[in-house]
Amino acid sequence: MEIFTDTLTGLLDTSGLMAMTWQNAVMILLSFVLFYLAIVKQYEPLLMLPIAFGMLLTNLPLTGLYHPELWDPATNPYFAPEYLDSGYVDGSMNTIFMSVFTQHTSLDYGRVLHDGGLLDMLYLGVKLQIYPPLIFLGIGAMTDFGPLIANPKSFLLGAAAQGGIFFTFIGACLLNVTGIADFTLKEAASIAIIGGADGPTAIYLTSKLAPQLLGSIAVAAYSYMALVPVIQPPIMRLLTTKNERAVRMGQLREVSKLEKVVFPIAVTVIVSLIVPSAAPLVGILMFGNLMKESGVCDRLVKTATNELMNIITIFLGITVGATAVAENFLSWKTIFIIVLGLVAFCIGTACGVLLGKLMYLISGKKINPLIGSAGVSAVPMAARVSQKEGQKTDPSNFLLMHAMGPNVAGVIGSAVAAGVLLSILG
Amino acid sequence: MNNALVFLSEGASVIDRLQGLGDAKKQLADPDYWSSVGIIALTGILVVFLILIILIFMFWLLGVIFKAVDKAKSANAEGNTKQNVEEVKPAVEVVSAAEEDYSNDEELVAVISAAIAAYTEQSFTVKSIRKHNPRTRSAWSAAGISENTRPF
Repeated sequence: MEIFTDTLTGLLDTSGLMAMTWQNAVMILLSFVLFYLAIVKQYEPLLMLPIAFGMLLTNLPLTGLYHPELWDPATNPYFAPEYLDSGYVDGSMNTIFMSVFTQHTSLDYGRVLHDGGLLDMLYLGVKLQIYPPLIFLGIGAMTDFGPLIANPKSFLLGAAAQGGIFFTFIGACLLNVTGIADFTLKEAASIAIIGGADGPTAIYLTSKLAPQLLGSIAVAAYSYMALVPVIQPPIMRLLTTKNERAVRMGQLREVSKLEKVVFPIAVTVIVSLIVPSAAPLVGILMFGNLMKESGVCDRLVKTATNELMNIITIFLGITVGATAVAENFLSWKTIFIIVLGLVAFCIGTACGVLLGKLMYLISGKKINPLIGSAGVSAVPMAARVSQKEGQKTDPSNFLLMHAMGPNVAGVIGSAVAAGVLLSILG
Repeated sequence: MNNALVFLSEGASVIDRLQGLGDAKKQLADPDYWSSVGIIALTGILVVFLILIILIFMFWLLGVIFKAVDKAKSANAEGNTKQNVEEVKPAVEVVSAAEEDYSNDEELVAVISAAIAAYTEQSFTVKSIRKHNPRTRSAWSAAGISENTRPF
């Protein structure tokens, strides 16, 4: 009998229940909320569900699927003061170590491979920036840049909507002055990129600049992308008059196959030459598009848009969710990230619509300013919002194809913006 | 130009120094904090616009070239148009002989007329609409065969 109770108490002691903290419990409840959003409300369920499950797994104690400490250079034993002072390394080595340490390049991947759990292994793909470009490969192979080529002016709207990113960057820095938040420049840039309305881009930049915020930024970015049909229409209506919303745009010209083939090559060359750090995103996006438009790699296109994209989406979602450990997520920073993300979205939409208005005036009332809001990426949701708003004013007005131009330009624009931030702050 | 470059490189070194401080509070206390924040935001939006404007110019130019090429082609083609029409006619007759008449279905007539109008952008008259039903495999089975026999 004694043996039996001993075994039972032993089992209980090693169970997750005993190791559970209240922070873990809160995070688990939060993951339930995300399950609700993904399953019942269907907010970007393909990513939200894996993110929520990753969050659940990582906050169940003792599961050992994900070890945040392995990814924190500060906990690397080789950089501990005891080790550095132990005499194994002399003074000059010490400074070398410390200089490496301050550059945050001191992750010990050997330790990850040795001690890591399943999600640590999969997280390597986020940390080494493998997943976001591969998602972009699939997106490129699914995107038709035809409307953009037919009406290159759309590029301007795609650029204007990135204004949300840079305004929010300043906004996050201004918050520091109040003393309630303390965001470093890198963190401010990572939060601002939510305004790009592009999940993979946000994850790409954040995993490089502020990996500790990855969980909250990904959740905010994907939530707001799902909420585009709620967030954008009031801003669009506020900034435009009924006459402007009723503008009908002429039929887009037909785009030849040659133009569609030249497009990805030209964009890759130009963007990579000017902002090399945007190449992993823009280059791979355009590679996917070239595979599609060339029409000679059907089998590869199928893989990139289906199997590969789905596999990567699962890996990306569950590992990004896993980074949402209580100590990083349950802080004031998360609240600010959610607020600033919303601000970024709203300003991006407003910038797009305002430039749309300007183009409406300059073009002699030929451009409907509603297509400007599609310049925040969120393909194709933002373009559909433009279409819907247009039809509310005039049911026989079809803006969808015109809005797809700024919409796909926004993808290129936000990738370039991420590249710029990375090259300045990375 | 040179001044701008010096300014930018100085800006970059200031930002590097700020980054080295690590802590957000130390960064904020630095006298160059706000100028760096401004420079980052400004270069960001300017570079985004710059790249996209270069792309606009390029594709506008390409569009002009392609339009010119198309015009030349259509000028060449115009001479042959009459011949084409004559070639098409017998085919239509063969089709119309095959199956029942749909010309009284007003909805169908409207839809087909609209489609032709959008495609040709010229005035035309629909004289009759008949179902074309040659004895070949259905679209689904044709798709299936092409899917399974496509070379790797």
